[in-house]
Amino acid sequence: MIDRRDDSDIEIERRFVPKAKDINEDIAWAQINKDVLRSMERPRPMYWVIFAASLALFGFGVFCEVYQYQTGLGVADLNNPQVWGLYIATFIFWIGMSHSGTLLSAILHIMHADWRKPIYRFAEAMTTFSLMTAGLFVLVHLGRVWQFYYVVAYPNERWTWPNFNSPLVWDATAIGTYLTSSIVFLYFGMIPDLAICRDTATGFRRKFYWFLSLGWQGTDRQWANFRVAYLTIACFLIPLAVSVHSIVATDFAVSQQPGWHITSFPPYFVAGALYSGCAAIITLFIILRYVFRFEEYMTMPILDKTCRLTFAIAMVWTYLNLIEYASVWYGNDVYAKETLIYRATGLYAPYWWAMNFLGSVVPFMLAFKSMRNNLTIMMVVSLLLNMGMWLERFMIISPTFAHGYYPWTWTSGWWPSWVQWGIVLGSFGWFSMLFMLFCKIFPTVSMYEVKEMVYHRSEARKARNL
Amino acid sequence: MSKVHTMALFNDFEEAGNALQELKDSNLAGFRMQDVTIKSPIEHPELSALLGPRPVYVQLFTLFGAVFGAITGFTLIASAQANFLLQIRGGRPVVPIPPNMVLTYELFILCGVLMTALGCFIGWKLPGNRSPLYNERVSEDKIAILVKADSAAITAINAIFTRHRSLEIMGEYD
Amino acid sequence: MSLSNLIKNWSSLRVKRPYQDQYKNADYKWGMVIDLDSCTGCNACTTACYAENNLPVVGKESFSKGQAMHWLRIERYWGEGTELAQFPDHGAQFLPMMCQQCESAPCEVVCPVGATHHTPDGLNSQVYNRCIGSRYCSANCPYKVRYFNWWQYPERAWPNPLEKQLNPDVTVRSKGVMEKCTFCVQRLTAAKNQARTDGRRVADGEVTTACAQACPTSAITFGNMADSQSQVAKIWARQQVELASDKQDKKDEGLRGYRIFEELRTYPSVLYLERVRNSDA
Repeated sequence: MIDRRDDSDIEIERRFVPKAKDINEDIAWAQINKDVLRSMERPRPMYWVIFAASLALFGFGVFCEVYQYQTGLGVADLNNPQVWGLYIATFIFWIGMSHSGTLLSAILHIMHADWRKPIYRFAEAMTTFSLMTAGLFVLVHLGRVWQFYYVVAYPNERWTWPNFNSPLVWDATAIGTYLTSSIVFLYFGMIPDLAICRDTATGFRRKFYWFLSLGWQGTDRQWANFRVAYLTIACFLIPLAVSVHSIVATDFAVSQQPGWHITSFPPYFVAGALYSGCAAIITLFIILRYVFRFEEYMTMPILDKTCRLTFAIAMVWTYLNLIEYASVWYGNDVYAKETLIYRATGLYAPYWWAMNFLGSVVPFMLAFKSMRNNLTIMMVVSLLLNMGMWLERFMIISPTFAHGYYPWTWTSGWWPSWVQWGIVLGSFGWFSMLFMLFCKIFPTVSMYEVKEMVYHRSEARKARNL
Repeated sequence: MSKVHTMALFNDFEEAGNALQELKDSNLAGFRMQDVTIKSPIEHPELSALLGPRPVYVQLFTLFGAVFGAITGFTLIASAQANFLLQIRGGRPVVPIPPNMVLTYELFILCGVLMTALGCFIGWKLPGNRSPLYNERVSEDKIAILVKADSAAITAINAIFTRHRSLEIMGEYD
Repeated sequence: MSLSNLIKNWSSLRVKRPYQDQYKNADYKWGMVIDLDSCTGCNACTTACYAENNLPVVGKESFSKGQAMHWLRIERYWGEGTELAQFPDHGAQFLPMMCQQCESAPCEVVCPVGATHHTPDGLNSQVYNRCIGSRYCSANCPYKVRYFNWWQYPERAWPNPLEKQLNPDVTVRSKGVMEKCTFCVQRLTAAKNQARTDGRRVADGEVTTACAQACPTSAITFGNMADSQSQVAKIWARQQVELASDKQDKKDEGLRGYRIFEELRTYPSVLYLERVRNSDA
């Protein structure tokens, strides 16, 4: 097990990694530390390209938001029935993205699926940052952002409270809870790794990691408490994650609009969330694998498992999508049926059909092993899937507003202005900027858990050989 | 007699386990198994089991947090609604049960998670759990055994460590 | 204190509204009747509303984007009838549509900050100071009668000296808040205060909304439904429409009264009298 390699060896080698190879069981623990810590020092140049691009996008988004803040929401070209536009559609999209990371990590942790270990850290970071992005959209879409704190329940001398009946307040509470809990979960899982960073870093960084690692020395008491606490938080996170997206779904299901007032909305949203989150995990997996040279840790068998999981979830989503249509079609609610027909034939029909194609047909690419083994194809497919999921959210918002109960408000055409598009693009910049910063500052692959994985696998092999 | 610390580094769990077993069987004067600490890069429950029962109370905190969160959540929300000046909305009861259940559920989880974290911190004896001896190679791949014992017993303990091929022994001296 | 209030008043806090005879002992419940047979679609009510409530005229560009602020709008529909093919204009029908002041208003439930709520005199009120502009109320309004201040209208709609024609009794709304028909609440408040000073109830016809006042054909009737002798209450009773029921049990045939989207259980306070069509002609 102990293969002492020269610690001063910092040369970055381009090693040949066979495609089908899983994590090397004989890899030395010191090597794991070295490989992961190296990723925080010298990523491939692509890192800076991505970072600069996201910074530029974010800058443009900030510009649009400042313009909208100064001028009023009119610049977004929203109008009376179309009150939400891309802002809420993209809000749901980001909330959805946030679901896979923490939820899958927690479920796989409880089930002791060890292939989760090299990839869960960045998936959880993805959760945290997409929640932060989603939170931004809640603020961006407000008419008076500067009064956003009215939604917070704080005691005041006027005895005014937020309206606890409003699904938006449930949203705010649920997102706040989810954000707090997933940050706690992410941070807890990272403490032993932060101690590793502390032990190798120098200067200012050492102080930073020293503070964050909370005096972690890997003592038996620390491990025992840690294990229980981590497992408990994982158990809390599973129902929490499901509840968060169900609550987002109640924003719509609780309302009166035909096309929203559907019982199957909460599970439909949760499935859609898992779906887009898994697709995003694939995208980020491929990017990180290349940018940080994680070929040996983020191995093809892990990607294969993630793809198969995504395929399964895609089928669940397809099913829920179809029964939503079917129940509306066979139901006797003429308004809802009209809305459905409008989606399929009206102004937004191309996007509706594109969404169904991207969401239900494209995932079949994941069913073929040859496709799953091709990183380029997987990158394209995962981006297409997420585009489909974004269109799904767009299809939930705009056609419904365009064809509500009241015929006078049936708008013939509505299209978001450049300000909306700019803010949506800016949100992608904001997300990738935060995510890339995180990857540079914190270890993206969980070192101690990869060690555990390697240790248990080699123990199991030894036991087999005996 | 004053107590001092000594810490030995081992290459793998097997050697560390053997050393621990011998320490346990040695019945040295001025040494107790309770004063032994293992420091390892990954968790190893079998090794910790040799140290005897060391209970973890994190889940008591969780239970308290979850119950507290649920009860205070509902009470706070319902009494805020009952006191709000502008109460009547959409013909719903002023204190409606289903929306409050949603919020109660969220607060139940939030308080549960936060109390779990707090319980874990208390279990770690934060702040100020600085253990006297530490070797940075523990975070890499070595297993360390830290012992607090009477200074008279230290020599014997160190001898046990050496016998089990310890890589390095650190100690503190008066 | 809060807790004891909660426990002491638990049963009253659990009451669902509207219920039968909710306003029997109340002083006021404002309501309206619009007779579509009398409506000529002249838009006088809309104009009066703009003048009374300081509604901004948004301009051609914003209007074409659907950002108009008409609290009271006249909708045109092209009805049925055999003559429609020959004389399409004859089929024109008008529907003045404003906030229906629903007794169980979908908008009130969903506002995250409680900026819209129900007043004791049965109005669906909007608190501009409290509104943060989430527009959820508008999304959930089946009638789409809530209007949002997309722009900073005070700067655009009333260039100097037009601001001098603004109604001093009504605030001018800033950008980012939701607004809607208030049943001219500034008039109602003034009348109620006057009546209280005199120690009486507001008499029928003492106060009316700007639209009802301006209507040349008296198609709009406004009044206090808690007063069974008022004009409005009489029409509601004559049309056998009950405020607190979602399915009207009409004993007589040929009654014209109905409420829009009654089946959504919003319990609107505006009663429409159906247009009589001579479709046989």
